[in-house]
Amino acid sequence: MEVQKEAQRIMTLSVWKMYHSRMQRGGLRLHRSLQLSLVMRSARELYLSAKVEALEPEVSLPPTLPSDPRLHPPREAESTAETATPDGEHPSPEPMDTQEAPTAEETSAYCAPRPAKVSRKRRSSSLSDGGDAGLVPSKKARLEEKEEEEGASSEVADRLQPPPAQAEGAFPNLARVLQRRFSGLLNCSPAAPPTAPPACEAKPACRPADSMLNVLVRAVVAF
Amino acid sequence: MAGAGGGGCPAGSNDFQWCFSQVKGAIDEDVAEADIISTVEFNYSGDLLATGDKGGRVVIFQREQENKSRPHSRGEYNVYSTFQSHEPEFDYLKSLEIEEKINKIRWLPQQNAAHFLLSTNDKTIKLWKISERDKRAEGYNLKDEDGRLRDPFRITALRVPILKPMDLMVEASPRRIFANAHTYHINSISVNSDHETYLSADDLRINLWHLEITDRSFNIVDIKPANMEELTEVITAAEFHPHQCNVFVYSSSKGTIRLCDMRSSALCDRHSKFFEEPEDPSSRSFFSEIISSISDVKFSHSGRYMMTRDYLSVKVWDLNMESRPVETHQVHEYLRSKLCSLYENDCIFDKFECCWNGSDSAIMTGSYNNFFRMFDRDTRRDVTLEASRESSKPRASLKPRKVCTGGKRKKDEISVDSLDFNKKILHTAWHPADNVIAVAATNNLYIFQDKIN
Repeated sequence: MEVQKEAQRIMTLSVWKMYHSRMQRGGLRLHRSLQLSLVMRSARELYLSAKVEALEPEVSLPPTLPSDPRLHPPREAESTAETATPDGEHPSPEPMDTQEAPTAEETSAYCAPRPAKVSRKRRSSSLSDGGDAGLVPSKKARLEEKEEEEGASSEVADRLQPPPAQAEGAFPNLARVLQRRFSGLLNCSPAAPPTAPPACEAKPACRPADSMLNVLVRAVVAF
Repeated sequence: MAGAGGGGCPAGSNDFQWCFSQVKGAIDEDVAEADIISTVEFNYSGDLLATGDKGGRVVIFQREQENKSRPHSRGEYNVYSTFQSHEPEFDYLKSLEIEEKINKIRWLPQQNAAHFLLSTNDKTIKLWKISERDKRAEGYNLKDEDGRLRDPFRITALRVPILKPMDLMVEASPRRIFANAHTYHINSISVNSDHETYLSADDLRINLWHLEITDRSFNIVDIKPANMEELTEVITAAEFHPHQCNVFVYSSSKGTIRLCDMRSSALCDRHSKFFEEPEDPSSRSFFSEIISSISDVKFSHSGRYMMTRDYLSVKVWDLNMESRPVETHQVHEYLRSKLCSLYENDCIFDKFECCWNGSDSAIMTGSYNNFFRMFDRDTRRDVTLEASRESSKPRASLKPRKVCTGGKRKKDEISVDSLDFNKKILHTAWHPADNVIAVAATNNLYIFQDKIN
């Protein structure tokens, strides 16, 4: 538990450092970003392994594959987003739940694969049952946000079943911005011009969305 | 005067006795960020000492000729020239400010009366010419002594201007500007032994320049992956071999060093030698990866060895052995248990430099609390010294300092928790021939000399 708390604290700290490093004169430093992301990854692995030990009899985890070290801020934001609460095995919450309070959810990410699409369908049908036309556009937005949240998590395994990201209790604003940005980004054309301006080299914000992970990358980078 | 510290001393002893010589810079407690020294470098003869600061200024000190009436007092360093090398710029395309901070200064070997140096910030390298002017022409025909143009109709006679002595004026002028070649932040420059080319390295690329050509550079190393999300390491430092003009090394954030030979291919992405020490599993910790990042790499003067600095140690490598370093010196091992706090206060990201003495028998590097460490390679002795105003009396000997790591603190020892992590010595330089060292402590430059016995 101590280990988990410490790992979580370090992840939170790293997100803040990532955030503040963007404000520094001279712009984002690649080396520093890489180092922060390495610490984030170690903290996340530590947190996960501590969680595994805690939940061992209940949950079977997919193997935590060695992640490609991601130097971008979103790696940190991802991990922070997913680490808030210890409870697993909850169905992915409504995006609105995420906004209100950090609820126990995300560790379902590490459970057996959840059919995200299926759950989306269920939700949409429940919403349409309400019969409120006004809900339809917002329903779509929420679904997109939810999808983005799901994408906003860890590694390779998550590419298949992206678990929802959870708003870190300490960063409600971060979560809201991420959610806003995601919907905007999903509307972006995936076919970004190949000859990206040099700006793209330092900030991947311009690059096309290859996967849900990249969506989060771009969200936080833009943020 | 003793050469490399061994001359006048008892046979076999290489002990230095360092004494305070000078300190440059303001004494104010409130240090302006622009005054923080960011690089220190002696020139090839050691007569000139250049410093660069965060405000983009370069200050050059010149050693005074030795005073014959005081043979034991070596020449002092006095200000020779000050100029603004780099200004803050704005990259409109990326909406980024480019800092004017001088990252590195490297001197060119002197070929005529003028001195040349390269200075670089994050994006642009400049070649500066520093020249003396001690004569001026007087008696112009077309203008008055105060420079006003004379009315041509008033000129009734012609005279030949004559040169008259004047007060020495040292002028610095930018002769070349090497710009727009680096997407990432430049961390190193290194002049080649051919005296015609030099390299500049940023996080992902190394470029080769010719000193005369500013609109073109050759890319010789490129470690940028096709997909940036697969990036695992960056280049942290690079240097040319002191004698072999085709060889250079670059260090990485993963603690590895690659030696490349430019004769083997145009793009040196494949190394000729790869230096890496296997990680000791017992010392593996949460922050292992980031403290193994190499912050500086320096060839020995002989060219046989190279030295690398990571967060906690200095390692000396024999170029003929890639598997492990031949020496490892712990700089401040007592910080290993404090890495978490050092991560919180950002100190873990500090990039310390290291340097060799002229004979390669000793190495020096900085630490916290204005401490700096010296390691004698022959006697295996090391010493911790402090650059402080308190011990700044002329020719006062520096007392060795000791950090208490636990248990009972002895008198004169300082405990780890009392160390001031805001007082860090990142930049040091050693005179190429004599035992004179320059230590940059935030905004102050300390000069220490070895006492001649």
